[in-house]
Amino acid sequence: MVNLEELKKEASQILKEGKVKYIIGLQSSSNGLLPVPAFIKNPEDVEKLVWNPACVYNLTLFLRDEKRRKAKEKEPDEKPVGIIVKGCDSRAINVLLQEEFIKRDDVYILGISCENTGVLDEKKLAKKLKGKKAEKVEFGEKDDFVITTEDGKIKIAAQEVLSERCLECKAHFPVIYDVLIGEKTKRNIENPFKSLERIESLPPEERWKFWKEQIDKCIRCYACRSVCPMCYCDECVVDTISFVVTPDTPAEEKAQKIKWLEKSPVSSENFVYHFVRAIHLTGRCIDCGECERVCPLDIPIRFLNKKLEKEAKELFDYEAGFDPDQPSLVSSFKDEDPEDFIR
Amino acid sequence: MEKVLLKKALPQWVKKLESYTIYSPQEEGDFWNYEVIKNAEIIDLDYLNTVLSPKKIIFPQREVLFEFSTSNEDELKVKEILPEERPAVIFGVRPCDGKALTLTDKVFGGDFKDPYYWKRRNSTTLVGLTCNTPPSSNCFCLSVDGSPHSKEGLDILMTDLGDKYYAESFTKKGDELLNSAKALFKSPTAKDKKDLEKIKAESKKKIKRQIKATEKIPAKLKDMFASPFWDDESLSCIRCGICTYLCPTCHCFDMNDEVTSSSPIKGERVRTWDNCQFPDFTMHSSGHNPRPDKASRLRQRILHKFQYFVELYKNYQCIGCGRCISKCPVGIDIIEVLEKARDYGS
Ligand code: SF4
Ligand code: SF4
Ligand code: SF4
Ligand code: SF4
Repeated sequence: MVNLEELKKEASQILKEGKVKYIIGLQSSSNGLLPVPAFIKNPEDVEKLVWNPACVYNLTLFLRDEKRRKAKEKEPDEKPVGIIVKGCDSRAINVLLQEEFIKRDDVYILGISCENTGVLDEKKLAKKLKGKKAEKVEFGEKDDFVITTEDGKIKIAAQEVLSERCLECKAHFPVIYDVLIGEKTKRNIENPFKSLERIESLPPEERWKFWKEQIDKCIRCYACRSVCPMCYCDECVVDTISFVVTPDTPAEEKAQKIKWLEKSPVSSENFVYHFVRAIHLTGRCIDCGECERVCPLDIPIRFLNKKLEKEAKELFDYEAGFDPDQPSLVSSFKDEDPEDFIR
Repeated sequence: MEKVLLKKALPQWVKKLESYTIYSPQEEGDFWNYEVIKNAEIIDLDYLNTVLSPKKIIFPQREVLFEFSTSNEDELKVKEILPEERPAVIFGVRPCDGKALTLTDKVFGGDFKDPYYWKRRNSTTLVGLTCNTPPSSNCFCLSVDGSPHSKEGLDILMTDLGDKYYAESFTKKGDELLNSAKALFKSPTAKDKKDLEKIKAESKKKIKRQIKATEKIPAKLKDMFASPFWDDESLSCIRCGICTYLCPTCHCFDMNDEVTSSSPIKGERVRTWDNCQFPDFTMHSSGHNPRPDKASRLRQRILHKFQYFVELYKNYQCIGCGRCISKCPVGIDIIEVLEKARDYGS
């Protein structure tokens, strides 16, 4: 079981020693079970830090903000930012390093192992509790979670309420870190694409029907994009901004700017959005599942990325986020590739 | 007009309303949303708060305003497309969501009355439901001049009395609906009236969350435009569209031409929801953006709701539904932000 005190001790130490500017972690919230992001500067504030099965966030997304802030400063503080990561999140750091979005010295990584459990799926838990409200959730002693409700404490086997991605996780302890908290436990997953196969096994017409219904629900709030650490482009195809436009840009040039998709939330445009995003994440998505968690309409977006993850694995034996030095999937080419169109 | 309806007779009433398009909260997987009801038997008013409010029906996310085309002689033709007038009924409107429509009424009903909005608004009858227990743990209607049995904006308010509904109609549209199935409704007894008052009084006590001293907030915000407060509060915001798109009172829109053919020209001018959290919101064509970062966007959301709207219309532009709190991906809590702002620097 992960020791919160150990985390606080490490965090407090690096702040006191001035090793980091601040630490990106989690603290408890006023309005629900999930904690909220915390940006801790003072060593005494590390007491606020929490670590429990509701720590679903992939905090690496805030490295994007840090980079933007730094770019605006005249004399930026070059010290690293401390960041708390789980196994899946640490893979995101590797991808960001591989793409040179960040440098290794930009981050001081406090890695936490999920050992034999992971993080919970709030909806699964709600179903289990049948209307009772969970007030608190903690790691138990035996790969279980201890849930506090108004009627007291109950224990639930982690497997029953873990989020799907944890059940299919390929990196349950951090693959890159400066400090590791918890054990590198052994754990076997029989099939990392098990949930995806439910969708893959549907006949094409039914699969189309499934996706059309799901994608039609989308209100294009772009929370799935905004929460994704890999969606760091300053200019995204879905926004009608363009940094090329200045007060001197002639009207004709502006008019010629390509509009990739309409703002209307109709099937065709929604599909364009989701296809573009899925393609842009091929070989980059590390399956932290955040896009799916934040969707207010419960659209199972994770499957789109999972499908491409599977293709990359089967066709190119490629897995994202394990090696910051490997060439990226979409920008590399092997001589033995059977297709010759690219030569 | 006040009547009572046996709970089991609700589907029969719905069946009588065949000349209307009927919406009701329906369960889709793990959440509830308003959808057209296809079979009267499935009507279920034992629901949690819907993801989207009835805003999505009265002020839909996409609306065609007009079609345009050029013929061979290069003559431009424009054809206005107004929503069709088939009357609609929305069942299970939460009192706060009903009140939200009285706020969007002000926005779309000033000197210029928006015909698209009013066509739908006028042809829709809103049947509300008292929140005997709050449908979300983040409800705080009492702090923003609302109540779990408010009748504002509603045509009818129903209250669950156990095996029957107490139906109060406040408008002609409401009376028509009750009169369309006269045989199903009875006059309330003295006991029904007593039960109603008791339930209404209790419903207020069950609201857990509140903003203290909301009335002090607008004046305070006025001096906080340039405050570093917004930088700190927005640190974890990911600038998505959830808080504003789900908000029953947010009404910002964008207009675009969707061109389906360029020669001859053919297309539609379309209005879609917009929101102040997106990077291209009110961005100028020069490239200048008046709200360039997330701090200024959070400030816009809070100030619009608790300062500008109050100055313009003497109402908060928030009805306390708690949607923006429950659904924010990073737990930004409008109650907390407002209370911190109220106490800031004192
Ligand atoms: S979070 Fe959901 S509703 Fe929002 S854009 Fe993504 S898929 Fe659509
Ligand atoms: S406050 Fe929350 S819901 Fe609103 S834009 Fe920010 S992250 Fe999205
Ligand atoms: S601001 Fe939040 S609580 Fe207020 S009406 Fe909008 S969604 Fe509801
Ligand atoms: S808060 Fe933002 S989106 Fe909502 S009405 Fe105001 S400006 Fe528009």
